[in-house]
Amino acid sequence: MTDSALLLLQAAADTTHAYGEFPVIGARAFIWITAEVHLMFAAFVLGVPMFAVVTEAIGIFGGDERYDRLSKEFTRLLLVAYSATAIWGAMLVFGLSTLYPRFWAYLTAIFAPSMWLYAALFFIESFTLYLYYYGWDRWKKGRAKVGHWTLGILLNVWGTIVMFIANSWLTYMMSPPRDITPTTDPTTIKLWHAIANATWMPINVHRVIANVVFGGAIVGAYASYRFLAARTDEERAHYDWMGYVGNFIAMSALIVLPFAGYWLGREIYQYDQSMGITMMGGFMSWLWVIQAFLIAVLFLTGNYYLWIGMGRIPGAERFRPYTKYLLIVLVLGAIVWGTPHTMIADSKELAAMGGSHHPFLGALGVMSAKNTAVNLMILTTFLSFLLYRRANTRPVVPWARTGTIIQGAMFAVAAAVVLFYGIRGYFVEAIVRIGFSVYQVLAVLSCIVFVTVIDILMARGAQSLGAIRWGKMPPRSQYALFILAVTFTWLMGLMGFARSGIRQYWHVWQVMQDTSKYAATPALGYASKMISLCVLIFLSLVAFVFWLGGLAEKSTFVATGEAEKGARHVGH
Amino acid sequence: MWATNAKIVGIVLGTLALYTLIANKIPQVQSEVPQTLTLGANVTPEQLVAAGEKVFNGIGGCPTCHGLGTRAPNLLTDEKGQGSIGARCGKREPGKSCKQYLYESLDQPGAYVVEGYQPIMPVMTKQLSPEQVWAVIAFLESQGGTVDVTASDIPATSPTSPTSPGGGGAGGGASFAGGSADPKAIIQAAGCLACHKLDGQGQVIAPDLTHVGSRRNAESIRKKILDPASSVAKGYEKLAGIMPKSFGTMMNAAQLEALVQYLAAQK
Repeated sequence: MTDSALLLLQAAADTTHAYGEFPVIGARAFIWITAEVHLMFAAFVLGVPMFAVVTEAIGIFGGDERYDRLSKEFTRLLLVAYSATAIWGAMLVFGLSTLYPRFWAYLTAIFAPSMWLYAALFFIESFTLYLYYYGWDRWKKGRAKVGHWTLGILLNVWGTIVMFIANSWLTYMMSPPRDITPTTDPTTIKLWHAIANATWMPINVHRVIANVVFGGAIVGAYASYRFLAARTDEERAHYDWMGYVGNFIAMSALIVLPFAGYWLGREIYQYDQSMGITMMGGFMSWLWVIQAFLIAVLFLTGNYYLWIGMGRIPGAERFRPYTKYLLIVLVLGAIVWGTPHTMIADSKELAAMGGSHHPFLGALGVMSAKNTAVNLMILTTFLSFLLYRRANTRPVVPWARTGTIIQGAMFAVAAAVVLFYGIRGYFVEAIVRIGFSVYQVLAVLSCIVFVTVIDILMARGAQSLGAIRWGKMPPRSQYALFILAVTFTWLMGLMGFARSGIRQYWHVWQVMQDTSKYAATPALGYASKMISLCVLIFLSLVAFVFWLGGLAEKSTFVATGEAEKGARHVGH
Repeated sequence: MWATNAKIVGIVLGTLALYTLIANKIPQVQSEVPQTLTLGANVTPEQLVAAGEKVFNGIGGCPTCHGLGTRAPNLLTDEKGQGSIGARCGKREPGKSCKQYLYESLDQPGAYVVEGYQPIMPVMTKQLSPEQVWAVIAFLESQGGTVDVTASDIPATSPTSPTSPGGGGAGGGASFAGGSADPKAIIQAAGCLACHKLDGQGQVIAPDLTHVGSRRNAESIRKKILDPASSVAKGYEKLAGIMPKSFGTMMNAAQLEALVQYLAAQK
């Protein structure tokens, strides 16, 4: 037998029973849908408990029962969502073990012990949730209440560990340790060595923050639905307030998310430059233009919601003229962020541009311009929130004027630092330019922290210009919350495609090749259809969960008097 | 309430439709699995150019540096007023045709480095098959020049370097560095000094090898040569992935050991 015949036999043996097929939609689409919808539910059941435990704490330590009821209302939804998460997770495992058996055997050979731990923790997490929800009314006073809150914290701890374990599997696929080669026997790989790979911790941090964003957005969408369906003013006021809280949490966490994203991107580049280039300048380069568009929608819609919300706050009229300037900064920032930089272009396209970059737009597509744009957008959003927060108060502390001037100066200094390093970035080498983004981020974060501290101190004993008229919001504000939830969910699907797609035709990067007929990584058009389908399935099921939640128990709205009494706890 | 529900469904579907539409309107690029290139004896210039374009953008990874405007010269567009690569390749080195120059650039990238750029290009004849190399040359010639690559070039040896392995074949120790086990000859043939410095010679793009033996033992050096990605020297993380992965297949065992022991002795 010749060598080539032997090789052919070897190749045949390698692919025998390596892959199964799923009817109609194919194996890849099945895994894509089950993995994505499972992940969305997983984000829901991780993000919402974070939201619940924080709001319960505000209820306990701030003495406002509305927060406690809000927290319970969301925990109720979790019961059904947990089942959905487990069902989609089981479908994913069945899919992997029957459609990608060789790959699944490889993963289990390395990660089996962590998989058992994962299952055990999921079990413990579920029972903690049952205790947390069903014990709500039993343990509602004194130490018992604090003990109950501790259950909520435990729920988050278990959930976070479960997520970290699952993250280790998928990050191993992206960035297996360098000493692991295609010939390495997977049973000889140390478990911790595989878990603690280059992108594990960046993904962990990124996902924790993203789950907070997601949880807030879903809460906002739920509240907006209940607002639109409300029959009384009291109910409308309650869900208006809930929507505000959800949006506030989502937008606050969103501001931090890009920084975690930078860290992840940097780790990917350091692990393998070619993988980083594939992601940012290779076949995925257009993906970032879509991402920029989605982020622009999030920033604009989030700010729009705040600006409409100012209509229900007495005293907000004095700030309204400024919103048009904020809008201009946001739109310009979005345009710059959406400017393509390095794209795969054919020779005709390159010739039409007159070079590898567009003669004018190319200057806006570089990181200096984009970092400047996004930092200014974050500052602008923070300023929007500050104006909203201050709308119906007038500070009475003797240093109020000085404090406001200092706040203004901090904004000016932060913007100047961002602009200075943004412009200077054009005149230095790439390695120096990358370092500038750190100064820009530090300037913005410092501004946010110090201005907030000053604002809290300045608000002590502030004169009220009138209570917020919760519930007095036009329906379009609630539709904005829906757009936010849909966009966050779609963005999650898009970023999942980016993270998974940069492995290209590898199950495990440069260790285990995908030799199935689905090995090619699809273009963004196909991916977008899959993402939309997954989002639709997820939102339909979530709507069902919400409906079930409504069937199970009455909503938790409170009377107008109580709402007004507690109004200052959020944003004031 | 039905009207409200309908509006919500409309907004959700409308938002999804908008995002899907935008994603389908932009250029669609699918990442293909690299295929083995087989060219027949009757291959036409057009077929060579088409195959070369795929290699250029795919397995060759050329746009990684060529086209970003900073790491390496533009090939598909104008470079400092001299036109794209097909138009300027015949004028780069006196006495060398476009085809010869392009082959030399792929086979011995350190031999002629364009002013203003660092010699960071790996030896492509060690990474690509002869068919792929010549297809890329044909593609590059087509960028503003005349394609004169034919099927007869493919099995032929280098037009510029009679000592280089046949048309950039997969190599093998027998022909590499003339089969010599002299470490200096191996270093010369492998083009190590295009990036590394050793005894005052070479470039400083990659770590200086002058005292490499004090930093790495023989085992570590051997591993680094065979699998360059196995470790990255501190401060050179940004260059990870540039060192060719093909040295292990170029040298025979005796050459590899001679090189490893020589470097390990550089203390």
